Amino acid sequence: MDALDKLTILADAAKYDVSCSSSGSDRKAVKGMLGNAAPPGICHSFSEDGRCISLLKILFTNKCIYDCAYCVNRASNGDMPRAEFTPDEVVAITINFYRRNYIEGLFLSSGVVKNPNHTMELLVDVVKKLREVERFNGYIHLKGIPGADQRLIDRAGRYVDRMSINIELPTTQSLRLLAPEKSRSEMIAPMGYIKEQIAEYKALSKRFQNTPSFVPAGQSTQLIVGATQEVDLKIIKISEALYNRMALKRVYYSAYVPVGKTEIATPNQLNLLRREHRIYQADWLLRFYGFKADEILTREEPNLDMEVDPKCQWALRNMHLFPMEINRVPFEALLRIPGIGNVTARRIMASRRFGPLNFDSLIKMGVVMKRAKYFITCSGQVFGGIDLEPMKLKQQLIDAPKSQTSQMSMFELYPGQFSGGGASYGLSV
Amino acid sequence: MVYLYDGTFEGVLSGIYVMFHQKCPVDAARLMHKDRYQYGIFDEVVLVETQVEEAGKVASSIIETFGQEAFRRIGYAYLSEDEAFGTILFKCLKRAYKLGGMAFENLSDPDILALYKCFNAVARESHRMLGLLRFMELEKGVYYAPFDPTYDLLGLMVPHFTERLNDQVWVIHDIKRRKAAFYNGHEVHFGELDPLDTMSLSAREHDYQKMWQGYFEHIAIDARKNPKLHRQMMPKKYWKYLVEKLH
Ligand code: SF4
Repeated sequence: MDALDKLTILADAAKYDVSCSSSGSDRKAVKGMLGNAAPPGICHSFSEDGRCISLLKILFTNKCIYDCAYCVNRASNGDMPRAEFTPDEVVAITINFYRRNYIEGLFLSSGVVKNPNHTMELLVDVVKKLREVERFNGYIHLKGIPGADQRLIDRAGRYVDRMSINIELPTTQSLRLLAPEKSRSEMIAPMGYIKEQIAEYKALSKRFQNTPSFVPAGQSTQLIVGATQEVDLKIIKISEALYNRMALKRVYYSAYVPVGKTEIATPNQLNLLRREHRIYQADWLLRFYGFKADEILTREEPNLDMEVDPKCQWALRNMHLFPMEINRVPFEALLRIPGIGNVTARRIMASRRFGPLNFDSLIKMGVVMKRAKYFITCSGQVFGGIDLEPMKLKQQLIDAPKSQTSQMSMFELYPGQFSGGGASYGLSV
Repeated sequence: MVYLYDGTFEGVLSGIYVMFHQKCPVDAARLMHKDRYQYGIFDEVVLVETQVEEAGKVASSIIETFGQEAFRRIGYAYLSEDEAFGTILFKCLKRAYKLGGMAFENLSDPDILALYKCFNAVARESHRMLGLLRFMELEKGVYYAPFDPTYDLLGLMVPHFTERLNDQVWVIHDIKRRKAAFYNGHEVHFGELDPLDTMSLSAREHDYQKMWQGYFEHIAIDARKNPKLHRQMMPKKYWKYLVEKLH
């Protein structure tokens, strides 16, 4: 099997992993070394499903001794072609792709060969060669193999920009059910360890100039949505805890798609993709809009509304806070208004200094009036005749049922989801 | 009144200098690239001479009043090669000097916004192109990247690649504008360069192109193929030089 064959098999096996951005590392160029990494990620291409291609995303191998029910690479999935790279092959492809400006760096993950330590050693070998032999200074994201020794995690951490250990399932219970060989503590322990190391190295680097870096772009993880029964509140609470207590940079969510014969009840795919989308929006509110999980959802309303976005859902539950006066409320309050994003809020703050804004300039600055108009006043004025009774309001906020077109676009977005069979969802460790 | 400049950045700033000096009214004056201007029968035309020193004065005044970032914005907007750029800049500056220091942040003002739009179009394509540029390895280890951007981006590509690919010898070639940046591993030279007729690729180039094509094909989730979204994210006009889109 030549490198091209392996590459196609191991790209296939990696493609369901959703994280791919190269964000968060500021690796300055060094004369005589190849590459750098800048905070705003660069997309080098877009795959035919419309996703950004930034990193070379591959598995080291898809030969796996484990049998996670949700994963395409599980040992019991008989009709998968299997392949395994050598460290030198991965190094050569990465360097040569990088020199041609195909990629921003490497995202390397793997199935478990022989045992977790053996696998992790192979991965460490790759990143070590890239940094020390090839003097590669571009972005590297490495998956940590659950159950591998701390000393291996520690060695890897010195070479990579980001490390991730996938949580996969929201509760211990569902983990026991679907991924019996993995344990919760095998995932949480290394996360905690990496977090402490990052903090320690940061503290050191303040005192000593030549402190080496340790996972400078931080950790991320991935959660599968819809393979088990958890409510959305449970999921975003886990994310919140991971952001706050584990200092994670990103949590990725992946709508479960059944692969081959499994015990998992087949969820409605269309609803699941919508749900994944809403969870991402809620996650966004956690990270950039100053919301807490308990504000976004409540015990009484534990699931995200599929008809309006999470910010609208929150606003409708809190109508007593509205309308807000655009020319007066502070930045944090602007962020909470439906139809106003981060960039727009900043523009409003900047322009407001030159005098009060009117509706016209709000539209020019990017306020989505269709949603915002119900929640704002502008120098005391409301925009058109509006009804602020929450239930009626919700109807207004739901995109006008262009029944056919909206269905069409879902078909266009995910045609295969409806034709059955096609999709095989896999996640590496 | 129509003022004509020679198409250079110094030229347009010289034009601004003259127009401010003569106290041109904002609505009655235009500043145009002399090669693109079409003579109108009632136009009164003034040919602006490019004066590096006066251009320098305008530049320093802009930087002192509105900051580095504002000047960068103007530089990018210039690269848009927008027909009306000179006039847009004139109006924007007229307005900005009235508004004072933070004027360039005031995007609710139509004249400030017009310049911002030129800047933004260039900045977006420039950022996009940092990812879409493709190098191929020629014999003797020279990496060659032809491209065909909508705006004049060559100068904006150079700093990024002299950092990132600093240990590599490369050429970035704007095919349409027939010019190129040459990097020898230490420094960059700009020069004219016609499209190349023949190129001899390195022995391994073909293999890596094949691998990239294979990777590209397999990384897409078949079940979610979406040609419309794909073309929207990566417009067809860029495909000509994208290895993964050539088969
Ligand atoms: S999720 Fe990872 S460990 Fe589980 S079967 Fe898939 S590749 Fe193996």
